[in-house]
Amino acid sequence: MDLTLNEDQEAFAESIDDALARKYTAEFRGKAAASDVGWDEKLFSTLAEIGASALTIDEEHDGLDAGAGEVYAALYALGQNAAIEPFLDGVYLPSWLLSASGSAPDEVLSALAAGEAIAAVAHSEPGRVWDAAPATTATGDGSKVTLSGTKTAVAHADQAKWLLVTASGDAGFGVYLVNGDAEGITRTDGRTADWTRVSRVTFEGTPATLLGSAGDQGRRAFDAAVARARIAVLAEAVGLMDRASKVTVDYLKSRKQFGVTLSTFQALVHRAADLYAEVELARSVALWATASLERDAQTDDTDVDATADDAFVYIAQAARVVAEEVVQLHGGIGMTFETPISHYAARLTSIEQSYGGVAAARRRVLKSGSPLTAPTVVRS
Amino acid sequence: MDLEYTPEEQRFRDELRTVFYEKVPAEIRERVVRGQISREDIVASQRILHEHGLAVPHWPTQWGGKKWTATQQNIYASELQRAAVPTPLAFNVSMVGPIIAEFGSQEQKEKFLPATANLDIWWSQGFSEPEAGSDLAGLKTTAIRDGDEYVINGQKTWTTLGQYGDWMFLLARTNPGAERKQQGISFILVDMKTPGIERRPIKLIDGSVEVNEFFFDDVRVPVSNLVGEENKGWTYAKFLLGNERNGIAQVGTSQRVFAELVDAAKETDVEEGTLADDPDFRSRLHTAKMRLLALEATQLRVAGASADGKPDPASSLLKLEGTRLLQSLTALRLDAGGTDSVLVGDTEGTDGTPVGLSSEHAASTAALQYLNMRKLSIFGGSNEIQRGVIAKAVLGL
Ligand SMILES: Cc1cc2nc3c(=O)[nH]c(=O)nc-3n(C[C@H](O)[C@H](O)[C@H](O)COP(=O)(O)OP(=O)(O)OC[C@H]3O[C@@H](n4cnc5c(N)ncnc54)[C@H](O)[C@@H]3O)c2cc1C
Repeated sequence: MDLTLNEDQEAFAESIDDALARKYTAEFRGKAAASDVGWDEKLFSTLAEIGASALTIDEEHDGLDAGAGEVYAALYALGQNAAIEPFLDGVYLPSWLLSASGSAPDEVLSALAAGEAIAAVAHSEPGRVWDAAPATTATGDGSKVTLSGTKTAVAHADQAKWLLVTASGDAGFGVYLVNGDAEGITRTDGRTADWTRVSRVTFEGTPATLLGSAGDQGRRAFDAAVARARIAVLAEAVGLMDRASKVTVDYLKSRKQFGVTLSTFQALVHRAADLYAEVELARSVALWATASLERDAQTDDTDVDATADDAFVYIAQAARVVAEEVVQLHGGIGMTFETPISHYAARLTSIEQSYGGVAAARRRVLKSGSPLTAPTVVRS
Repeated sequence: MDLEYTPEEQRFRDELRTVFYEKVPAEIRERVVRGQISREDIVASQRILHEHGLAVPHWPTQWGGKKWTATQQNIYASELQRAAVPTPLAFNVSMVGPIIAEFGSQEQKEKFLPATANLDIWWSQGFSEPEAGSDLAGLKTTAIRDGDEYVINGQKTWTTLGQYGDWMFLLARTNPGAERKQQGISFILVDMKTPGIERRPIKLIDGSVEVNEFFFDDVRVPVSNLVGEENKGWTYAKFLLGNERNGIAQVGTSQRVFAELVDAAKETDVEEGTLADDPDFRSRLHTAKMRLLALEATQLRVAGASADGKPDPASSLLKLEGTRLLQSLTALRLDAGGTDSVLVGDTEGTDGTPVGLSSEHAASTAALQYLNMRKLSIFGGSNEIQRGVIAKAVLGL
């Protein structure tokens, strides 16, 4: 029984944190977000060299074939610095989808592993919940498939060399590989509340290739990859919460009002203690979900989707509490773009709504048997 | 990472389960579930545990301890609670026993430790006073030396199950002139049959009598009943309050209460289907479930950490979240039962317990249990005090 990262994973997280910690001020993050690509290219390369881009890809494609624990370590460290370099949405999630299909061109995975290119997953559609069948259509078969429809909130579509697009075809749900510069694509670029670059992407007769098989099996593979991402993003959330609450504790020790530091006021000190409790309990759940994934990789006998939803619902609640509290405890300065705290709070808020959002996750949970089954950490 | 116990840990757990489920009578465990446990139940069950070497596992081995790892202690506490075995009397096994074993004289050890482990002596904790609660060092009871006796005067309150107490361990001022209020306090053992002690029961919010006040009027106890050194009592008390945190997260109890809650929900009809189908109730159950999972995982992480000798900064967190979670589970039970839950059941308890309406419905007594459980966040260091400890010791605030 062990719910901690091993030494290698800890060291990996530290090396990422080291690479980021000296640089990642609020000012730096703001500049990176406003740059042409939407993140810092040099840092992305540095992290790729440490291995961050190769984690989820098999050795055949020059990847590290690492497990869920390594992904946790990477995202935790990225979260601690509120870094916006697109490893989860640009590399990990695409690589999981591509690997699950078994039919991805080799060069795509190799390029992702090397950190030479990123891919974007295009699933959300305007006015449609995440779980609904896509309104985007796939027509034709074999090598002559074309896509038509509109996707929204596609993270990093502007920089993606490939798009992985979900669509409904004759055989049902499918994930399609599309070149970023294929014909019939119209893009409107924007950003999310946490300054991540996203686009609305319209396809009109865009040539595409089906990845893996279409139909229920395809949907299950997609859902399983997204479930992995739901668990991975929780590590980022815990990293954000951990650093944000530490920064807030430091602020309470240094900020003076009424001639004394804020830490003199017990009402605030007790709120800081509750924050600590929120973070530690959330950390436990994220580690449990990660350990469940690692175990699944060996035994294949638990339901990743259910674990992801359970953990997501719990941690989204903690993320909201922490985001609200760290801003409040900073007072006015917490509201400004110049303070790191505002970036942490904004990113936590986006995470709560990622991959369909917390309300949808809760709906799925409530329809399942989960609320009525006793919790267990230790399996036997 | 690894979500499984090692084979040795699994074997360890299975052995415990055999004792908990097969040796401790089912009737006793059922009464624990119903909240109707008696003095005899506690004594009987502790003696069975002791017979199997399971009453005082954390004591020194010489006195029956087991040298378990933190993980094993964790398994023990959780399994015991989950099986609804009465917890060995905390005053004996978690408080006075370890103190005597650590600081007591050889004579005290021999006289008290075997009897304490087997619950031949029932101990009461005499720390709190009307003016000294969270600020325990403010206590006023005095023990003034007169030859080879201490003469004790003062008042103790909140003494849990003091009506059964054969002996009391108390804190009293042996040096009222000491400069700081933490100084001049001693840890003294008192035979409750000594003349000059008067008990007054305190009826609680649920009508039960589980706490008492004690008045000490020129009570003479031999100096040989002093534990350790005179005026060093505060040090020993702090050692003891550290031990009190053992199993404080109540994970096993909450797991059991959660399962009972689900069963009750499935048996309660609502407009459509049962309460277990009701979206709002399911949502609240799921929240409780995930909090429980978070708590258990945190406890396992903390147990892992303290195994390599590190201090345990999260024990206050376990107390804080463990008690508020168990309280919220009893609140859910209360809401599930609706009007039925405020019935008093047919419990006929210790002195003063009201005999109420008989109801076979599971919800009966839910309100009493809910009300009684409010104590969890008050005693053992109130939850506000725990927040203070986290802020100071963990966050450096
Ligand atoms: C059912 C029950 C059983 C008990 N059994 C025993 C027993 O067997 N033996 C024994 O010795 N004692 C026992 N106690 C006493 C218990 O330890 C005290 O009640 C507890 O320490 C709180 O003290 P108090 O009741 O005087 O409350 P107070 O200390 O007066 O506290 C009142 C409120 O103020 C808050 N507060 C106090 N100080 C602070 C602070 N510094 N910062 C913020 N908030 C603060 C508290 O959290 C509480 O909410 C028992 C109590 C109960 C309710």
